[in-house]
Amino acid sequence: MAEPARSSDSLNVERSALNVERSAGGGPILQARGLAKSYLSGDRRIEVLRGTDLDVAAGESVSIRGESGSGKSTLLHLLAGLDAPDAGTLAWAGAPIVAADATERRATYLGMVFQSFYLIPELDALQNVLMASRILGRPGPADRARARELLGRVGLAGRVTHLPAQLSGGERQRVALARALMNSPPLILADEPTGNLDERTGDTVIELLLSLCRETGTALVLVTHNAAHAAKTHRGLFLHDGVLR
Amino acid sequence: MPWYLYLALKQLFPTGRRFPFFTVISILGVALGVALLIVSISVMGGFGHEIRRMIVETQGDVQVRARGLIENPAEVRAQLAQVPGVVATTPFAEGVVLLEHASRPAYPNVQGVSLTHVGQVIPLRRYVRMGSLDHLDDESIILSAQLAVAIGARVGDTVELYSPLLLQKLRQDEIFLPRGLRVAGIFEVGHQQLDSTVVLVTLRLMQDIYGLGGAVHGINIKIAPDADADGVARAINRILPDTLRARSWAELNQDFLFVLQLEKNMIFFLLTFIIVVSAFSVTSSLLIAVVRKTREIGLLSALGGKPRHVAACFCFQGFLIGLGGTIFGLGLGFAALHFRNDMVTAFTKLTSSETVLARFYQFSQLPSYSAPGDVTAIIVCSIVISTLAGLLPAWRAAKLNPVEALRSE
Ligand SMILES: Nc1ncnc2c1ncn2[C@@H]1O[C@H](COP(=O)(O)OP(=O)(O)O)[C@@H](O)[C@H]1O
Ligand SMILES: [Mg+2]
Repeated sequence: MAEPARSSDSLNVERSALNVERSAGGGPILQARGLAKSYLSGDRRIEVLRGTDLDVAAGESVSIRGESGSGKSTLLHLLAGLDAPDAGTLAWAGAPIVAADATERRATYLGMVFQSFYLIPELDALQNVLMASRILGRPGPADRARARELLGRVGLAGRVTHLPAQLSGGERQRVALARALMNSPPLILADEPTGNLDERTGDTVIELLLSLCRETGTALVLVTHNAAHAAKTHRGLFLHDGVLR
Repeated sequence: MPWYLYLALKQLFPTGRRFPFFTVISILGVALGVALLIVSISVMGGFGHEIRRMIVETQGDVQVRARGLIENPAEVRAQLAQVPGVVATTPFAEGVVLLEHASRPAYPNVQGVSLTHVGQVIPLRRYVRMGSLDHLDDESIILSAQLAVAIGARVGDTVELYSPLLLQKLRQDEIFLPRGLRVAGIFEVGHQQLDSTVVLVTLRLMQDIYGLGGAVHGINIKIAPDADADGVARAINRILPDTLRARSWAELNQDFLFVLQLEKNMIFFLLTFIIVVSAFSVTSSLLIAVVRKTREIGLLSALGGKPRHVAACFCFQGFLIGLGGTIFGLGLGFAALHFRNDMVTAFTKLTSSETVLARFYQFSQLPSYSAPGDVTAIIVCSIVISTLAGLLPAWRAAKLNPVEALRSE
């Protein structure tokens, strides 16, 4: 696998403008207080999250580990404002977020990476990355250039016109990384991004994710089963009994 | 382009795929419905058009009649000539007579036409198949084709005519012989009823046998090509005395035109169901797509896509299929109309039924007239129906909970 190009000036230039907003007030990029979520399964209520807190500072990377079914995905969905908690509050850059009207802000504030990539099969790699800026209603020439650059940065410069079906798992996840970074969000939420990849490919993807976040000053919440991957983040947390510690 | 429109287009025509099956089949379904509608409605419209033309050509655009008789036709005609839009007028008298030839009787409607004026209003000359209009005089008659066959009369034969007046006089024991009239010609309009029940004589002869003196029953009026028959009729009624009334051809044939329109509407209604059925298949395909793409719909939410835009994406797919199907269907339909006579000929040749066709239809050529209003209605119908087909899938997609969508592995 080709080693992705190290640094990209234009990525950093664009980023610096956003860094102002990002670090405004110096407060945490993400702040969750007492998040609780339970599901009704048959007539039994499963308490998945029991009032957990989380603070992520700008540019900080946090890993979350936990058993299968411990509620890691549930937590990420709450943090992304995709789902509403039963109790607790969430704030992005100090601004309170309610799931119902988080949609619009999510496009610029969050990049998400999933275990099974979720690329749109009808679109080639470039268009998949551009989808993030399309949703903002502005795929201009600058966005195209940025998408190409990001694809180059993740080592897929030669594959921009390939459809997801023509890419390997690792390559697909790298397209998904580029898509998550497309709108220069201050925060990336990654839910077991290496879960569907073999070990070596997983290692490269995590290396890439971490270095991209480092270069661009993007904060990262990484859910993973892999202790070695978790060790590479600034801070490691465990989700157990519905609480992060 | 908004992302949902872009994605709709890409889902219908994916990058790198030459033949998007779902899209092509769906478009074909709508196109077939549209083509069939266009062909049927145009041929129906063609028949209707022919029939209307026939009515106007045999009755004029507007007809003036009195309660009883018009005693002063020349005066009324002079008045009519003043009305804007009136091009020509011709008086007529009509009635029923008993006609006999070789002991075969018939009871045709007889029309007395003014030889000097009739040609300006009614293109009679065009319909005279045998003999000639020029040979018509006060001692002769022109028969309609099927009537001539029925009583076995040919051009040059003499037929005997009994008028009601004659019969009345007979009852008073006066001796009157029936009038012997030479057959000057035979006409054929192409209309079953007219061709079996009408005979033509001169107005003078008609006035004579009906004892009308100088009076007539009515006046046929031809109007300018761009004038509106109903409007001219109204204008005439404003200047004529109350005893006279002008009516347009449309008013005179109201019931008939109503039935014609009803027939067309029924066909439209029934054939629209072809589009409805293909729309159902579009709906089910799109519903399957929503289920198949559940995770991508979840992803679009994660990327910040709004549910109503996700809905628009699927609705737009229905609209695009409708648009494509309509355009293709219009092309198909008008192509079929263009080659309609070749197709009919080929079909009759194949089934060797040329003679049957000629016998049962007065038109040797299949008529076609595509009214702009009808075509517009078809276009609007098919696009609206197809867009509606995308509505249910769109609603399903918008209703998907993004978290559950992302979880559905
Ligand atoms: N919609 C749901 N209905 C019922 N139970 C759910 C639902 N979503 C998640 N759960 C349950 O919540 C728990 C946590 O799930 P998840 O957050 O996916 O765990 P993890 O990502 O840590 O494996 C699991 O026991 C799962 O079965
Ligand atoms: Mg999970």
